[in-house]
Amino acid sequence: MSEPAGTMEKCSRCGRSIELCACCDELDCGAPICYACLNAALGQAMPQPHAHGG
Amino acid sequence: MAAGLPTEGTNAQRPRAADVARKDAPTCGLKERLGDVRDRVRARGWDSAVVVNEERVVLGLLRTKELDKDPVQLIEQAMRPGPSTFRPYVAIDEIAHFMVEHKLENAPITTSDGRLVGLLLQGDAVSPPPEAS
Repeated sequence: MSEPAGTMEKCSRCGRSIELCACCDELDCGAPICYACLNAALGQAMPQPHAHGG
Repeated sequence: MAAGLPTEGTNAQRPRAADVARKDAPTCGLKERLGDVRDRVRARGWDSAVVVNEERVVLGLLRTKELDKDPVQLIEQAMRPGPSTFRPYVAIDEIAHFMVEHKLENAPITTSDGRLVGLLLQGDAVSPPPEAS
């Protein structure tokens, strides 16, 4: 899967390109995190074995 | 747990987001005027409000920065839309870490279908009141 255009940040945990930090919704977050990593860290979702979900 | 209902068992003693979140947090609707909401919110000693619909589904959030915008604006123009929310069952110490790291003054706690349970304040997350445990 290709990365979305115009991404500004990389998730500090998995390196995935993200537009905003999923935790604080800010562009200039010091420790940006993607939605998947945030939910896995908080136990709100199971971590996917691969980034593509397979 | 995801619906914010009571839990039992040994792990139920661990404080969770729903135990600490303020259930009396101010709420408002999309079509209200920001100035009216700001007056109402600050008169109750708050500096934030959650924007909800008729079914208490969270649509947005007004933190200090948004409340200080032009008072003639409608809430739907001034709010922070689609804020990050946390589930009621998340352990409070785990949320506290993220709230401090990301400088979140508060965060809405919602059920899995988006209904507001309460507003979690950073101070409460870092030092939960004794009755929460």
